[in-house]
Amino acid sequence: MTSSPLSSSSAPVIAASALTLSLGSGEAQVQILRGIDLMVGAGETLALLGPSGSGKSSLLAILSGLERASGGSLNVAGADFTALDEDGLAAARRGRIGIVLQAFHLLPTMTALENVATPLELAGQADAMARAEAELVAVGLGHRLHHYPAQLSGGEQQRVAIARALAPSPAILFADEPTGNLDHATGEAVADLLFSRAAQAGATFIMVTHDEALAARCRRIVRLADGQIASDRPS
Amino acid sequence: MNLSWSAAWALARRGLDWRFKGLRLLLVCLVLGTAALSAIGTLTGAIERELATRGREMLGADLEFTLAARPPSAEERAAIAGMGELSEGARLQAMARVPGDETRTTPVELKAVDAKWPLYGRFTLEGGKVAGAPEGMAAWIAPGVADRLGVKVGNKLRVGEAELVVGGVIGSEPDRLAEGFSLGPTVIVSKAALDASKLVQPGSMVRSKLRLKLPAGADAVALGERVKAQFPLAGYEVRTRDKASPGLDRFVSRMGQFLVLVALAALAIAGIGIGNGVNSYLEARRGSIATLKILGASSRDIARIYLLQLAAAASLAILGGMVIGVSITPLIGKALQGLLPIEAGFVLDWGALAIAAAYGALIALTFAAPPLARAKAFPAMALMRARVSPLAGNWKGAALPVALGLGGIVALAVLTAPQKLLAGGFLGGAAMLFLLLSALGWGLQRLAARLPRPKGAIARMALANLHRPGAQTSALVVALGFGLAAFVLLAGVQTSLDGNIALRVPTRAPDYFVLDLPQGKTGEFDRIVQRAAPDAAVRKVPALRGSIVAYGPAEAMTRVADLKEIPDNAWPLRGDRGLTYADDVPEGNVLTAGEWWPKDYSGEPLVSVDDDLREALGLKLGDRIAVSILGVERSARIASFRRIDWENMGFNYVLVFSPNAIADAPHNLAATISLPESAKTPEVRRAILGGLVKALPSSSVIEIGPVLGQAREILSQMGTAILAAASVAILAGMAVLAGAIAAARERKTYDNVILRVLGASRRQLLVLLVAEYGLLSALLAGVALMLGTGVAWGVIVLLFEFDWLPDWPRILGVLGAGVALVMVLAIAGSVGLLRTRPAQVLREL
Repeated sequence: MTSSPLSSSSAPVIAASALTLSLGSGEAQVQILRGIDLMVGAGETLALLGPSGSGKSSLLAILSGLERASGGSLNVAGADFTALDEDGLAAARRGRIGIVLQAFHLLPTMTALENVATPLELAGQADAMARAEAELVAVGLGHRLHHYPAQLSGGEQQRVAIARALAPSPAILFADEPTGNLDHATGEAVADLLFSRAAQAGATFIMVTHDEALAARCRRIVRLADGQIASDRPS
Repeated sequence: MNLSWSAAWALARRGLDWRFKGLRLLLVCLVLGTAALSAIGTLTGAIERELATRGREMLGADLEFTLAARPPSAEERAAIAGMGELSEGARLQAMARVPGDETRTTPVELKAVDAKWPLYGRFTLEGGKVAGAPEGMAAWIAPGVADRLGVKVGNKLRVGEAELVVGGVIGSEPDRLAEGFSLGPTVIVSKAALDASKLVQPGSMVRSKLRLKLPAGADAVALGERVKAQFPLAGYEVRTRDKASPGLDRFVSRMGQFLVLVALAALAIAGIGIGNGVNSYLEARRGSIATLKILGASSRDIARIYLLQLAAAASLAILGGMVIGVSITPLIGKALQGLLPIEAGFVLDWGALAIAAAYGALIALTFAAPPLARAKAFPAMALMRARVSPLAGNWKGAALPVALGLGGIVALAVLTAPQKLLAGGFLGGAAMLFLLLSALGWGLQRLAARLPRPKGAIARMALANLHRPGAQTSALVVALGFGLAAFVLLAGVQTSLDGNIALRVPTRAPDYFVLDLPQGKTGEFDRIVQRAAPDAAVRKVPALRGSIVAYGPAEAMTRVADLKEIPDNAWPLRGDRGLTYADDVPEGNVLTAGEWWPKDYSGEPLVSVDDDLREALGLKLGDRIAVSILGVERSARIASFRRIDWENMGFNYVLVFSPNAIADAPHNLAATISLPESAKTPEVRRAILGGLVKALPSSSVIEIGPVLGQAREILSQMGTAILAAASVAILAGMAVLAGAIAAARERKTYDNVILRVLGASRRQLLVLLVAEYGLLSALLAGVALMLGTGVAWGVIVLLFEFDWLPDWPRILGVLGAGVALVMVLAIAGSVGLLRTRPAQVLREL
């Protein structure tokens, strides 16, 4: 177990109340989330579990500011996400929130080093390249700094994505099926890296997965079904 | 905090593929548009400057007075000479021949000049030697005379009764362009040589020229008016340095208008390509944009990063376009030399280049703004979902840059185009067309959605592809509409020009024109022709020259001198015209109103008028027409109107008088000789030409074949210029078609791969593709036919005032070729995709 201990006394870094999300309009409107209440403390590790279509990825997108909720309130790291526009959400993410996605989403025209440096540059950090290099060395890719995503294996690409998410030292790290595109052994190694680097950074870690074993490495498991929280308990 | 421009550039640079993959459509369209604008701007600027600055040289004077058929009177000469420095000359048609060899003859334009010629500009001989008027019996001959007669410097030459010595071959004649069309190459002689030729006789077709160099500050127009007012019957044609060559000015101005239209059309079509190019570029980078957003990039950061990428590509394209534009200008100049006053060689017109660059930048901004605004404004997750859930338009975000861009384009067009109304109108029309085609695309999408689903899977999918979310139907409809219309436009213009050349250069024409045939020598003339070709048809008519000075009802005649502007189609009012008299209705003419006068009529002088002139001036039977012949005003009552068959290249006179009206004025005859096919041999031709030249030295015998060739050449040169310019629109159209299909293909990749996974064969996918594009092309071909022919009609009829003579089978053939091109592009673009293994593509999706 590499997750950080639950600290019930600490102030919540995420406070969500009655969150809803619907996509489309008219007859084609689909209700994705139906009133989510969730509090997450600083340094917590939390897994969002649930069957396909239960809304777990959508919840993660809302909590990380990638999507705006249709209703409810959401406070993340002191910022009222429901009151922020697109640019406000981008600014709120910058330096505070790291995200790792299943499909890696590396920028194909940039090298591994440039990919990792980009969020630091976006946050206006002067030593972006040095920090990016250190982060890549930390994830074991010191020898792949100038390789393009297409020249890296799936596991290596995901490690670059993890380095990129953690480079700005975010307070919260989100991961959506981070091992979903990887084989078992590579997935294990990436998961180890993710938990250890999140712990080293002291970040709150929220992960979407359908892998019970991976979820069990978190201190808390929230299960979703049909857009609602079905259960919320320690692992 | 937003990214600084330098930090944004650092990120933008990383994202730029320096092979410009994904940006090539934008590059091609922008290069084409800017190149067209640079070349056209440079060219029209050069022509306008040339006309403005060289007007004085081209005219050879500040002010020129031309008189038909007589020298100026002493009183007239004195009045004109008092205004400035006078140079006097004459111009007439003549025959040049080699003494001792009557078979070596050629019609020439004899130009007599005095010692003061040229008042302006430099006359040079071949080899670059600057010269003035020839002295004594020396003659400067055009290269054409040297070629046709096989003479060189030092050889002798006979013109009329004068024996001349070739003193040099003309290299550059400053006032050549303003002299206009001539029936032969020039021979320049002194006044003394002209007198010695004895060609100037009462009634001969001589044009006397009085050219003035005015003192600084003198008002040429006012002085011209003063002379016309002082000698109202003299029939002076006045030209000032501002309007050195009215005919040339008209052609240049029409060509200029046309070129502006072509440039704007290329720009509008290129704009569509640029919009599609930017759209597909940003589509392809949607994942990267989403990722940047995930990493904390604000919408302004995204806008800056991609704006910088597009700006880098656009700057290169604009620069490339300007280089190409400047490089091709000398080629166009060379092609049009002789037709337009253009200096050969490179011209760097910074103003024109700046305007072209500004247009390029504005059009890029305008068409790039909507897709950029959309990419900028949508949340990261929406961008990621966009493949299956397309993004709605974001007109709100794009409204300001689009409005600024469009405003800038309109302002630039209106401020810089010489024909502001035309440019503004055209842009308005193009915008309307764009909206109409967009509406058509939208309507088509709605219609396809409402149609019952076909039973066959392929047909169902082809139909669904037209209306499914994210379908490129509207963009394709606009691109196909404009692209195919460009094909039709070119075909319409080309076939109409061909038709006009065929119409205006008649196939039925006599073999010879004989000018200045003295009345007393007709018997000799007939004998020579009869002896050489007994079956030759000869027609002789009295030939006088005069200008119309007044027209209208007897009690309220309109004086031409009082007209501020010559009415449309009333060209016979300009300058002096050929006049004749006849006992019978001229051959090939048909009376449309009134009656012809009886033979030996001796009553009130009568005249028969061309129907077109009646229409242009609103004349009625019984109205009067007054003409000035050799400075004497003669008036006649309109007895009839005639329709003239202009296609028959014979003697066609707008005004035919009753003999008693003008026959007493000194005049010569003009004659045509038509040879039967059997007599069209070199021997017969030699006998006729040699016999006439020897017996009638003062007459000019003009062989029609070469003249028709020259006319055909001028018309086809004009046609080539028009077509070359219109081809730019075709090129832009093709680029847009290719781009739109490529953009649509990107969208189809996902569908095709999924279909392949589901077991669709390549053949089925190909049939789907052909069905979809076939349906669209068939629909758009109809629209393009209307659109293209409409614009082509405007160009031919309204702009160039030619006849609308389209060759429909050829136009439809070209349209068919355009549709075939669409299909080929669509299939060729998808071949790679059909060959690809689905797994390979799926990994990249």
